Order: sequence, then C-alpha cells, then structure tokens
Amino acid sequence: MDRIILGDNQFFGINHMSEEKGRSLAMRFRDTEAIIRVIDIAYACGIRAFMFNTHDRVEEICDHFRANPGRYADLRIYPSMPYAHKYANAIHEKGLVGALNAFVFSGRSVRQVATTVIRGGRTVINKNMVEVMKLLVDAEMRIFRGLTVPAVFLQNIVTDLLLGFGAREVFVEFARHVKRTYGADPAFNTMNMPALVDFLLASGIENPIVCSSINKTGFLMTPSRHAYERALAQKPFRPMAMSILASGAISPKEAVEYVCHLPNVRAIVFGASSEEHIAQTVEMISSNWNIGVSTRKLADAS
Amino acid sequence: MLRGGVVGFGRMGITHFSILNTHPSVELVAVCDSSGFVLKNAIQHLGVKAFRSFDKMLGTMGLDFVIVATPTAMHADVTECAISHNAHVFVEKPMTLNPEQGERLLELLKGKNLVHQVGYAIRFHDVFLKVKSLLDSGAIGELLTFTVEMNGPVVLHDARGSWRFKKTEGGGCLYDFASHGVDLVSYLVGPPDDVVGTVFNRIHSASVEDAISSTFLYRNGARGNLLANWSDPSYRKPSCRFEALGRKGKIIADFYTYKVLFHEAPEVAGYSEGWNEGYLADIAEPVRFYVRGFQFTRQLDYFIDCILEQKACETCSFEAGLCTDMIIRRIRTDGDSRRSHNGQNHTGR
Repeated sequence: MDRIILGDNQFFGINHMSEEKGRSLAMRFRDTEAIIRVIDIAYACGIRAFMFNTHDRVEEICDHFRANPGRYADLRIYPSMPYAHKYANAIHEKGLVGALNAFVFSGRSVRQVATTVIRGGRTVINKNMVEVMKLLVDAEMRIFRGLTVPAVFLQNIVTDLLLGFGAREVFVEFARHVKRTYGADPAFNTMNMPALVDFLLASGIENPIVCSSINKTGFLMTPSRHAYERALAQKPFRPMAMSILASGAISPKEAVEYVCHLPNVRAIVFGASSEEHIAQTVEMISSNWNIGVSTRKLADAS
Repeated sequence: MLRGGVVGFGRMGITHFSILNTHPSVELVAVCDSSGFVLKNAIQHLGVKAFRSFDKMLGTMGLDFVIVATPTAMHADVTECAISHNAHVFVEKPMTLNPEQGERLLELLKGKNLVHQVGYAIRFHDVFLKVKSLLDSGAIGELLTFTVEMNGPVVLHDARGSWRFKKTEGGGCLYDFASHGVDLVSYLVGPPDDVVGTVFNRIHSASVEDAISSTFLYRNGARGNLLANWSDPSYRKPSCRFEALGRKGKIIADFYTYKVLFHEAPEVAGYSEGWNEGYLADIAEPVRFYVRGFQFTRQLDYFIDCILEQKACETCSFEAGLCTDMIIRRIRTDGDSRRSHNGQNHTGR
C-alpha cells in the first residue's frame, strides 16, 4: 500500500476553511491542464499514488494518463466513489429512483448523465440495494478503465449512511465485488472511524483499509480523538489519515509529527497545489516515517 | 428504548434514519414510503417494517415518535396523524405549506405534552450558534442592516420530474431552499414587520421560482435583505452567508468561517477590537455519530433528549416553524403581487 497519496480536493474547489479559498482554487484549476501540471510536480517529488473522487472532470484527467502510458506507467489511482454532490443534485432533480436509473443505465460519462432521461423498461426498481451498488461501482469504475487501481474507496457520506443503517450485506458485497471484478482492495472513507472499524471487523471484512480525518485538534473525528487513538492502537486494520491539517487549524510540521507518531497509520492522503507545499509535505512525512526522501521508489516504501 | 418510524425515505429521510439508528436510546422499527424499491430494501437491509400508508404505520406500530420527511405538501396530514396517535414529531422544513395548516397543528397539540420540532438544521450549526450568541449578547450594538444569502447548484437543468418543481407540493426555491434563509432571519433577528420588494426569477424551472430577492423592514428602522438562488453553478454546494452591521461592529458568517469586527474593545470575552476571525474547525463540538454535518446529528439528538427528559423543544419548535411559514407567506404574497423583472409571468399565478 502506498504511504503518501495526493488527494484531489484542491483541484475541485473543496476547501473546508473558506468558501472564498475554494472558489479561487476552482478558478485556478478550471483547466484540466492546470491539474495535470500539479500531478506532474507531485510525480517529480516522488509521489505515485493519487486519490480521485469520481468528480465529472476526473475522466479528462484519466484520459490524459491513458494517452501517455509511458510517462505514467507506475501511477496508482485510489478512486473514492461516488462524488456525493453529483448524486445529491441528481436525486433532487429526478428523485431517488430516477437518479439511480440515470447513473446505472446511461452508459455515458457522468457529465452527460444529469441531462439523460431514461425511457423504457430498464429500471432499478426491481433490483435490490446490493445489485444497484454493484452497478453504480461499475459505472464509476469506467472512468478509470485501463489504469492501475490498488484499492477502491467508498466515499464517506455513503459509507456513514450505510454504517448508520447497519447494512452489513452491502459492505460485504462491496468488498467482494471490488476484489473479484477489479482485483482491488475494498476501502472506506468515514467520519466515524472507530465505529466503522468495529462494524467491518464484525462483518468479517479482514484488515480493511479505512481512511479518516486524523489530526491533533480532533476535527471531524467522531466521537473523539481519544476513541481514534485507541482504535489505531488496538484494532487490526489499515488506517489511512486525511485532513491532517484540520483545514488549516494546525501548522504542517505539528500536524505531520502528530500523525506520523501514531501507531499503525499506514498512509497519509494530503492536498496541496504548489511545488513548495508538496515537496515540503513529502519531505516531512518521509523523514518522520524514515522512508527515504523523494526517491522514485518512494511510493513503494511500504 | 424509544420506538420510532420515518415517513418519507428520500434524501433527508435516509439521513435521519442513519443518524437515529445509531442512537443508544432509539429503536427504529418502521419506514413509510411510496416507492416499492425503497420498501423492499428497507425490509431486507434495515430490518424494519415497511408501509405505504402512514396511517397504517402509526395505527399499528405503537410508535413513540415519528420523523416526517415527505414532500412538504404531506407534512400536515402525516403530522396530524402522528399527533392523534400521541407520537412525538420531528418534521422536515418548511413545516407546512401554509400557516393555516401550522396553526391547526398547534391547536391539536394543545394539552398533549408531545415534543415537536422542525428540521431547520442551521439552528444547530456551530458557526450560526456562535453568531446567535454574539447577536443576543448585544455585542455589535443596535442592528442596522443585515443580509442572508443562500446560493447553490441545486437545479441546473430544465427539470420537472420531482415534487420539488411543483408549487402545490411545496416545491420551488422559496419553500424548498430559501426557507432555511428565512428561518435564519427569524432565528437570528426576529420576524420582520414588513416584507417589500420581493422578486421571483425563473431560470430553469417551468412552474416554480429559481431565485428570490426580498427586503425585510423592522419598526426600529433596521433593514434586511434575503437573496436566494438554487440555480447558481458557481457554487460547489449549497451555501449560506449572513452579514449583519450593528452600531458597534459587524458579523460575517458562513458554514466554515465567521468574522467579527468591533469598533471598540468589546465586552464579550474572547474578542478584541478590530477584526476577529474563527473557523468551524476550531469551534466544532463533536457529535456521537456524523453523517453530512454536525448539525444533523445535533438536532435529532436534541429532539430525543427532549422526549427522554420530558421537556419542550426550545430551539426549533412548531411555534418557530409557524413563525417562519408566516414570513414565507408574506414573501410569497409580496412577490406574487408584482411581475418579475425579467418579464416572465410571475410564479404566483
């Protein structure tokens, strides 16, 4: 498993500190080329692993990877699906079943889906939640066809909704489907890490990859930082840390030191868009974890 | 253990179910929806009884409380049924289609000792709780002007399939989206004495408004403006911004940040003269289970606490819901009395 992964929030105007900052990022990255430039900078810093939410612009980025197979031969993508707002808006416009129909049966790019009206007898109505989940995963995975995908993440809103439901079978079948169909590890983003880990282990999903906010201020660590630290120390799973800066509440040095010295954290996902920040963060994590600085094999150092 | 049921299993219904299903004092036992797909999966994956009829659900399940998350047009009927079965009720916003329905519900609640709450979740948002306490403390002095802006990329295509595009069902930007902003005015400042200058615009929708602007006047001379647009693609997700100017300072707040300006050293602790800035990440109080935002868990846990402790809901009761519905009615009436500025027929006819 890759130890340092570049996230994609910054590319899509997502900033949990300021809507204004988010908007200025969205402006900066309005061209896919600007995103590719940052990816190439990350590459030069030794990063080979990238997490992408299934935002409708990710397809264009993946087209670029596919068009340059030599350059990105050792690239590894960790998709997180679904991109929630895409679904939320579609549900608003079409209702739950209408939106699911559009996503599952359109066979088109996600950008076109929102304007697609499905006619005829094909509908999710006769299917159960597990079948629909598999169809949605397949629809989203089309974006990443032909690329190396070590693990597939269930996005946190969906993970946490299903966790609240106690929908054990959906988690188990998601894990099985991702493994069987894509040869990838099942993985989960969550805001409720301790509860999710217990639930996954009790469901027989062994050594799961679980990505959650882990930061010194306890921001978005439900129910508490203490519960997270206990789970990290005691539970058999592969923890991945995100939001380590708590949206800017902590200095990068302090943030990295805190996370790197917690037991068992296997990987850090971070967002940055300048060469200076990416290089600095890679350097800080590498030296704290003692995994060598910016070598081309850095991402394999696990 | 409190036995509960959810009526309406759409976007908010599933969120409420997920949050309450993890509550240690709650057992969710029933779901009611019109979709066969939803009902089949509710039985299979959630282990609850599924109903097409809320009447039957309430009549047979012996529920302590009900969550009403149907299209707005059904809120009054479902809530009335819940009250008649002595169930505590949490109803999604806006409370009802019109104030007459709300008044009737309050009438039915008289002498019942039932907890009633409306789902204006922003009242439970960390940043807006902070704004509320600042305003209530009088820290920025007499309020002169304020603005509530709500924008989002909710409706970006010509769409008409869902109830949200039918005025008779409680669709449209005013009821379905801007009601949060209207309620925020009621919560933070209080109901206006007059509503003027309302304009409805259509952008994509055929029979409901997509954007609203309206002016609120107060007897003491204060003025507020509501600007709402659910068809603005420049926003990544729904956003809410509040700005208030007082004689002693200013507050600017959204879901992530708040900024407070004091012209002189303020009397409230923790602030100094000049600009003060705070972030959600610094002030967010943890919840026991998180789905989509702290405020969603906080409002439901408050509702359950009120039932368990046999106390009335103070933060967002049906009285508060009715007050907001009355402001919505005044905006609707004011806006329908003039043509929209882009020359379309206004949406009121």
